Amino acid sequence: MGKEELREELLQVLKDGVVNFEEDKVKEAAQRVVDEGLDAYDAVMNGLAAGMEVVGDLYDQHEYFVPELLMAADALYAGLDILRPHIKVEDLDQKVKGQVVIGTVQGDVHDIGKNLIKMMFEVAGFTVHDLGRDVPLEKFAEEQMRTDSEIVALSAMMTTTMMGMKKVVQMIKEKNPDVKIMLGGAPLTSDVAKLFGADGYAESAGNAVQEAIKMISQLRKLQNK
Amino acid sequence: MNDMTSRQRVLNLFSRKPIDTMPCFSGQGMVTVPAIEALGIRFPQIHLSAENMAGTAIKSMEMFGFDSAVVPYDMCTVPEAFGLEVSIYEDAEDILYPTIPKKWASPEEVVIPEDYVRKGRMPIVSEAIEILKERIGDTHAIGTWILGPFTLAGQLVELDVLMKMAFKEKAKVEALLDRLTNLIIDLGRHYREMGADYVNLREMGTGADLLSPRMFKTLVQPRLRKIFEAWSSPKILHICGSTDLIIELMNDCGAEAISVDHKNTLSETRKKIGNDILLLGDYDGFTLPSKASTQEIRDAVKACIDSGVDAVWPGCDIWPDIKPENMTAINEAIRDLGRSPTPAVGRT
Repeated sequence: MGKEELREELLQVLKDGVVNFEEDKVKEAAQRVVDEGLDAYDAVMNGLAAGMEVVGDLYDQHEYFVPELLMAADALYAGLDILRPHIKVEDLDQKVKGQVVIGTVQGDVHDIGKNLIKMMFEVAGFTVHDLGRDVPLEKFAEEQMRTDSEIVALSAMMTTTMMGMKKVVQMIKEKNPDVKIMLGGAPLTSDVAKLFGADGYAESAGNAVQEAIKMISQLRKLQNK
Repeated sequence: MNDMTSRQRVLNLFSRKPIDTMPCFSGQGMVTVPAIEALGIRFPQIHLSAENMAGTAIKSMEMFGFDSAVVPYDMCTVPEAFGLEVSIYEDAEDILYPTIPKKWASPEEVVIPEDYVRKGRMPIVSEAIEILKERIGDTHAIGTWILGPFTLAGQLVELDVLMKMAFKEKAKVEALLDRLTNLIIDLGRHYREMGADYVNLREMGTGADLLSPRMFKTLVQPRLRKIFEAWSSPKILHICGSTDLIIELMNDCGAEAISVDHKNTLSETRKKIGNDILLLGDYDGFTLPSKASTQEIRDAVKACIDSGVDAVWPGCDIWPDIKPENMTAINEAIRDLGRSPTPAVGRT
């Protein structure tokens, strides 16, 4: 089997493995990518991320729901853990440079959406500073300043916790109006996100993944040109 | 109209007897900051004593003309009674509801003590209901709520673990849900014995933005049916978030009222479920009471009524830091615009 043929086959296994939640198959294929000296970044973007793109479409068509997204994410991470150490620094330098601060606001311990978005940022090559959940509001601004991150992503799953996000947006925008702020969570509407001064929003974990997938798709297209 | 008490208005609505006008009430938290301040206490304190819990419920009701008072306010009372630690955020200046910082690693580890109603803050909730019964029980309705089995399970075991196990180790998840279903049946009966007039089952972790309709049907619906079959009326099923895809399944759970939030397409829902069941919803509990103009409030209330609800009520807990004039305007609009018969309830 030629190298290109092998590449295509392994990319397909990685992609299908994510779509079908097959962690073991993904691990095996990722290891073969490494062992055969194939491009790890290519495997992440055109194998794992391509699989997540299909998962996103299936979510959009109401075929997949959040449990399916979570299982696909586990499969993706199984491959990413093997491939990431082998991504060449120059690959990342050429493709994506970026940092993001992410977390769920104080009073909220729901982090499914946050973790899915974190995964998509990691796949795209961003450096992710994950503050975890139930994070005191001032921590977001402090971490953004410390890391000089371009993006801050916040989530709150409850109506009773989303007000904290407004404060965080204010704190960050006061100090650095150029930082892009993404909000996520079930209680959000576009009006509320606008009211809070956010640059983008997603109302559910799946919806957030869809937005992140669009971003990754653009990257893949650029990479493949 | 003046002859009908608030309690009668609410109870008539649930038994689908004629009422004078639409009641202003909720099946979820509707405690307000003006009421908390009027009692000279802070937000965290409303969860920590029966007097504060009942007092703020009554004060909120009186200040804004609600037909009912509702307790408790937070979702951690049952998990706390099971032995999980709760963060109350006693020193926080902001409004922060209690949370469970650390949950059990898997469903089979969950411990349900026999005497859970006497543990943690459960006695506070029971006593708060008794206080409400004693002080307002003749004139106003007393509402309470309990998390549904899947949502409660998500307070005991991390939701992502639970969701994945629902695929991979379904029997373990089902065993926990069955245990919780029995507990919820008992707890609903207990709250009714304490004096609650209606119980709202909040199964908000099962909307179609989280679970598939297929999973709802196999994992959730049978247990909801069992609960509603065991509970006496009035009983409400509330699910927030995306409910358009599961509304028919919700209708087939045995509750006499379905409650949804503003992400539901109400007019379509009414067509799907028919006029033989109460539909409650679905104003935005944050925007309307704290941000909207008087005209926006009136338009939103009218839109709910035009879409076929039998009572206009919030789709979630009301954000406590309301503008008093907004809350009053919402309830005035509901009373004023709610004088005509609704699909399931006539007028006197």
